[in-house]
Amino acid sequence: MPMKLICAVKFVPDPDRLTAGSQGLILNPDDTCALGVALDVKSRDPGVTIEVVTLGPLSVRPHMEDLLRLAVDRGTLIWDPGLEDGDGFVTSRVLGRYIAGRACDCVLTGTHSLDGGSAQVPVQIAESLGLDQMTGVIRIDPDRFDRTRAVFQAMDETGVTIWEMAMPGVLSLTRESGYKLPYPALTDLRRDVSETLTLLTFRDLGFSAAEVGRAGSRIRVAAANPVTYGEKDPKIVGMDDEGITQVVDFLKKQGVC
Amino acid sequence: MKKTCIFQDTETPEKTADLLAAAVRMYGRNGFESHAVLVNTPPEKFTGRFHHVIQVAESLAVDHDPRAITEILETLHQTHGFDSILIPGTTLGKMIAPRLAWRLKTGLACGVTDLTVREGRVEITRPAGSGTVLETIVPEGPGPVLMTIRINAFEYTPEETVPTRTSNYSRPVTTRSTLTRLGVEHPLESRDIREYEVLVAGGGGATRCFQKLKPLADALNGAVAASRKLVDQGIAKRHIQVGQSGKTVSPKVYLALGIHGSMQHLAGLRGAASIISVNTSPRAPICRLSDLVVQGDACEFIEKLMDKLTCNPHKNT
Ligand SMILES: Cc1cc2nc3c(=O)[nH]c(=O)nc-3n(C[C@H](O)[C@H](O)[C@H](O)COP(=O)(O)OP(=O)(O)OC[C@H]3O[C@@H](n4cnc5c(N)ncnc54)[C@H](O)[C@@H]3O)c2cc1C
Ligand SMILES: Nc1ncnc2c1ncn2[C@@H]1O[C@H](COP(=O)(O)O)[C@@H](O)[C@H]1O
Repeated sequence: MPMKLICAVKFVPDPDRLTAGSQGLILNPDDTCALGVALDVKSRDPGVTIEVVTLGPLSVRPHMEDLLRLAVDRGTLIWDPGLEDGDGFVTSRVLGRYIAGRACDCVLTGTHSLDGGSAQVPVQIAESLGLDQMTGVIRIDPDRFDRTRAVFQAMDETGVTIWEMAMPGVLSLTRESGYKLPYPALTDLRRDVSETLTLLTFRDLGFSAAEVGRAGSRIRVAAANPVTYGEKDPKIVGMDDEGITQVVDFLKKQGVC
Repeated sequence: MKKTCIFQDTETPEKTADLLAAAVRMYGRNGFESHAVLVNTPPEKFTGRFHHVIQVAESLAVDHDPRAITEILETLHQTHGFDSILIPGTTLGKMIAPRLAWRLKTGLACGVTDLTVREGRVEITRPAGSGTVLETIVPEGPGPVLMTIRINAFEYTPEETVPTRTSNYSRPVTTRSTLTRLGVEHPLESRDIREYEVLVAGGGGATRCFQKLKPLADALNGAVAASRKLVDQGIAKRHIQVGQSGKTVSPKVYLALGIHGSMQHLAGLRGAASIISVNTSPRAPICRLSDLVVQGDACEFIEKLMDKLTCNPHKNT
């Protein structure tokens, strides 16, 4: 039987436009790869189904629709104002419960998100579902990826390791994998995909207001301050003999030459 | 007396004790009892540092199994009732801590770089927003304070040795992962860039001559590092990337050749004792953080410096 894949994706502020104070959102780069590998698998076996799920504000709806214009079968957007300010724990809980109710052979996620960047959600989704999970995945072997097991490569401090893991399981891609999203077919560009996008609230998943948002969170972000660095008053020298001599002297003074 | 549990740094076991510095920040030097949990590492190195060293029996935690280790830490917490559990921010640590937080129903602060106590409350600092902001996190609820600590963010200098009790953990593990290692693709033979006193780092302005960085690094007994730009271009390997999504380094001298100094790069440089930057533009942000700025071409600089370095064995005489 062909695999059923679920991609958990997040839309994050575009870091290149952060300073401009713009609200531009992009698909988290790692998550692009998660969906990219899913579409790659599907291109080899059209029977494979892909669902994309996100927990995020309604403003991501057009972005979700763009994904549905690719070979994605179904999209789910979970949102409710009560979900605002939830921490990673709440996000994992809500996504975990949603995924638990779906037939799924593999959950594909990013390794970490640009804005939060805590790499917590995929691991907790896996824990909540009682599944294995691997971080830093850079390649999934399409010939050894089925409903029972996945063979893949993952990166860590020591290099690249080839792993085998039982499915269902959670695989978290990293952008170093280089998987990309295809362009939508010209005929799909304006296709009405509203039928395939489902909107859910936390209540639809059986949560109470006390379990989500700030109330359900285990940590609170008390402040967020822009990073500043201790500035020095550097000596600026040229590339001439004198400049280079100063560099050598500096290195000597530091005891490294 | 507070109790803190520190899970071993499986990448660099010696660094495990550095996490004691984080506990000192929270509870003061004599305000806590330290428990170290070790897998596949002999306890001797930690005697005199920790009050209690718990060695996990070899057969229990095979192949760095995050689920088995999570279960072991959970069981230990049930026995000891830790006030905090500190986990190194290695790849393995990042796969354990969220599972443990889930099981203990407690919050998790990831990639912690600093800690303070204000009005009796622990405040945790971690970089967020692509390295452009520092978040202050306050744990809520009863649970132990659980965090992953950014590698090299803390350094511990012991003042005196403490009496150490050693014990073995041998309770059978019920949840194991199905992960099996089939092979290693690119083992990293070289030493970690974090271990060097001198780093010669190349960025977008050193693309042309990246290969020349190695002889210079060798002459200075250092290693080559890179900005993300060169890693993304496939010129440099990812394990030598410095910054927010790379490594945090703390060399004595950081030579930044053709590196602009983006927020994300600087995030990995907080611990550098001194910086020499070579840049065609003295207005590049890295220059303001440097001790010495050489204005000019990075590639030309390498040649000229190699010629003048007395410590350079390849020097043309
Ligand atoms: C979420 C996120 C995470 C990131 N993480 C990291 C990270 O971990 N590490 C990292 O480095 N980056 C990271 N980046 C990327 C970062 O924002 C910058 O794009 C990157 O650091 C730029 O690299 P650079 O300074 O080498 O190159 P450039 O931006 O191209 O700068 C080149 C510099 O060299 C100078 N120059 C040009 N020609 C010469 C010459 N011939 N000789 C001397 N100088 C010259 C220029 O004046 C300039 O200052 C991240 C970005 C994001 C969004
Ligand atoms: N709100 C969300 N909706 C869907 N997926 C998410 C969400 N937050 C995180 N994820 C997934 O978890 C990964 C890691 O995110 P984080 O734990 O925030 O670093 C992301 O790359 C996504 O795949």
